Amino acid sequence: MHVLMMSLYAAIAAVVLAAVDPKSDTTRQRLIHGLKIFGSFLGIGLLLSWVLFPIPW
Amino acid sequence: MQPRDGLTDDIAPGYADRSFAFDEPRPFSLSRRAAAVVVAWLVPGAGHLALGRYGRAVLFFLTISGAFILGLSLEGRLFWPTVAEPPSTFHFDLITVLWFFAQIGSGLCYLVSYAIGFGTRPHPEAATFEYGNAFMFLAGLLNYLVIHDAFDIAAGRKR
Repeated sequence: MHVLMMSLYAAIAAVVLAAVDPKSDTTRQRLIHGLKIFGSFLGIGLLLSWVLFPIPW
Repeated sequence: MQPRDGLTDDIAPGYADRSFAFDEPRPFSLSRRAAAVVVAWLVPGAGHLALGRYGRAVLFFLTISGAFILGLSLEGRLFWPTVAEPPSTFHFDLITVLWFFAQIGSGLCYLVSYAIGFGTRPHPEAATFEYGNAFMFLAGLLNYLVIHDAFDIAAGRKR
């Protein structure tokens, strides 16, 4: 459930952030930028969960 | 060959540059800029629709409205600034002001939901309560970016 919600959240954020990116001129550039954002959201989310898991408070 | 608009040969070499200038983004009138910003706040994507960016308008409407509706369906709640208890110098509870600011960015999604009573009775015991709130914050905050994007297009700063 949590990973599904995180993926949905990342996908929505990535779509909008890529579409408003002023440096991307073509659809291909926006697609690549969006995939990078999506991957960053998931990667950083998983990394943080792995780092925070052993902390007991 | 004589150019069709009657330009002579010594002027014609610069003619090619004019087609590039026509391709540059041009600013819209001040009233249209203001209208684009207001409608962009009210309905996600409507600012882009008003400026003729139909593809992006549909994309923003589906993603931002979808995020807000998903948040509501996951038992998220609508926030409103509440008075701080015990009383503080700021009068309002700061965190509820920030949550309200994040959600009100989605415009009519928030206002209509509030008017018909969706999300006004919180269910913090629901397993998806925090997920719902997160999606509703996301919708409002992303719409602020979309409003900014619509303004940039209307001001001629981007395509």
